[in-house]
Amino acid sequence: MIKAHQISYKHKDFYILDGVDVSLEYGEFLAIVGPNGAGKSSLLSVLANEIKNKQKVLFKDKPISEWNVQELSKHKAKFSQHNSNDIPLDVKDVVMMGRYPYFDAQPGKEDTEAADGMMNETDIFHLKEREYNTLSGGEKQRVHLSRVMAQLQNDIAHKLVFLDEPLNNLDIKHQYKALEIIKNFTQKANSAIVVLHDLNLAAQFADKILLMKSGKVSVYGTPQEVFTAENISHAYNFPCTICGHPITNNPMIIFG
Amino acid sequence: MRTQSKLYFYLTISTVLLVIIAVLALNTGVYDFGGNSPFKVLWQYIKGEPGISLSDKYVIWDVRAARIIMAILIGSMLSVSGTSLQGLFKNPLATGDLIGLTSGATLLAAIAIVLGGHFKQYLPEAVQFSLVGISAFIGSFLSMMLVYRISTSGGKTNVVMMLLTGVAITAIGFSITGFLIYISKDEQLRDLTFWNLGSLAAATWTKNIILAIVLIISYIILLPKGKALNAMMLGEKDAQHLGINVERLKKQIIITVALMVGSCVAFSGTIGFVGLIVPYILRLLFKSNYTFILPLSALYGSILLLTADTFSRSIVEPSELPIGILTALMGGPIFIAILVKFKKSL
Repeated sequence: MIKAHQISYKHKDFYILDGVDVSLEYGEFLAIVGPNGAGKSSLLSVLANEIKNKQKVLFKDKPISEWNVQELSKHKAKFSQHNSNDIPLDVKDVVMMGRYPYFDAQPGKEDTEAADGMMNETDIFHLKEREYNTLSGGEKQRVHLSRVMAQLQNDIAHKLVFLDEPLNNLDIKHQYKALEIIKNFTQKANSAIVVLHDLNLAAQFADKILLMKSGKVSVYGTPQEVFTAENISHAYNFPCTICGHPITNNPMIIFG
Repeated sequence: MRTQSKLYFYLTISTVLLVIIAVLALNTGVYDFGGNSPFKVLWQYIKGEPGISLSDKYVIWDVRAARIIMAILIGSMLSVSGTSLQGLFKNPLATGDLIGLTSGATLLAAIAIVLGGHFKQYLPEAVQFSLVGISAFIGSFLSMMLVYRISTSGGKTNVVMMLLTGVAITAIGFSITGFLIYISKDEQLRDLTFWNLGSLAAATWTKNIILAIVLIISYIILLPKGKALNAMMLGEKDAQHLGINVERLKKQIIITVALMVGSCVAFSGTIGFVGLIVPYILRLLFKSNYTFILPLSALYGSILLLTADTFSRSIVEPSELPIGILTALMGGPIFIAILVKFKKSL
């Protein structure tokens, strides 16, 4: 799906990313976790072709910078951490932006269906006629989640979605709903790379975990391999205990 | 109603409105056609019937009809250039006149008028004839580049910087034009005054054909950009993720806007505020949805300028008011309204 070898990215003399390797298979849900300033968002930006980088990121065996921008938008989408607060449009118009790669002047039937479907899944269908600027922070997040996921509703096999802290401002129910939408997406042989802060949610939903510290990969592997008391205490510099989740038996992290 | 049919509905209504205003404008004026209605005279002229007096023909075809068409073309282009800039820079105050494009164009046009005589003979013939027009385009293009360079860093455009750069360019333009007025001859002086005040009185069919060509080329590029301008509201990176080539979009808009503003200034001087008024009113009705306001601004720009021009030549008959007075009278309060509304975000 996507392969990146020895990514380095520096601002002046300071290395934000230092020799990071990433490789993702079809159908995988990869969670990037780590303390503040570990380089999680920068890594996502490099992988998503936002930062023009000398290193090659291979997306479907072709350097991502050589993809046609329009074509690429049907294969991958990105949910950004900082979404614009000022978009003087109705909610339905913002979600419809996700379908822009698919129509010229006016949306077709499948575009309206994709947008409406995603608005239903994220629970914002009842807000579709409201002006975006009047929504709360969590509702705005859900609007963008709908937009990003609607962008990838097509017949192309093996799509990839990048999400940078998609759970910010969401209440518990919508955090789970958002992760279920992403999980559903990856179960159809698509892949997702998600920056998460909640380690327990990451343990529960992700197939692979990339734990970062100071611009480097600290540990990479399955949740069982990565989430050990030693790894986490080392990365976050904070004591923790690990026990089994009573129902799923995934690792459960208790801090303090 | 579905979005598509809604847009066509508004476009149709607006076209009908424009035609009605054009008919009224054709009927307005001091010239007496010897008891005949102006429409009859125009119809006779178009059919090529003999027996129309030369002065009737001149007034209806070369004066009134030419001027009406010019008002439609110029109004439309000024308005679309404002809407496109506002979409690109995500701010309702970005218009050709406020960020100094018009001043830049006027300045180079003034230099061409006064000093053109000295170097005209060294230029190819085609350039000689359109020297003022080409200079105006170069002027608006250079101002655009200057404004963009000064106000943009790291992909973000600072609107206050844009407007202040516009103020600076206008000040430079004002002082150099003032100097040129001082050293110019009588006939050039008349040309310069015309440029500074802005007027559609010098309309001819040749100019209209050139303007129409510029308009068609620019609109083929710009009018399908409604989606892209909407996506720009998400920010440049997210627009790119939606498959929009942001760098190409910027270049296309900057060059076509410079071309449109330059040609408008070359033929009608500085007519301000059209690019501010029209999008402002359309935004009240359609929010900032550029798939609506971009095509509609093309029509409402024409409606606004044609109405203003018809008023300007009829309220103080037989003389006429400079049209800039009327557009500024509407534009000034709207400028203030936008400032008040965006007080916090500027």
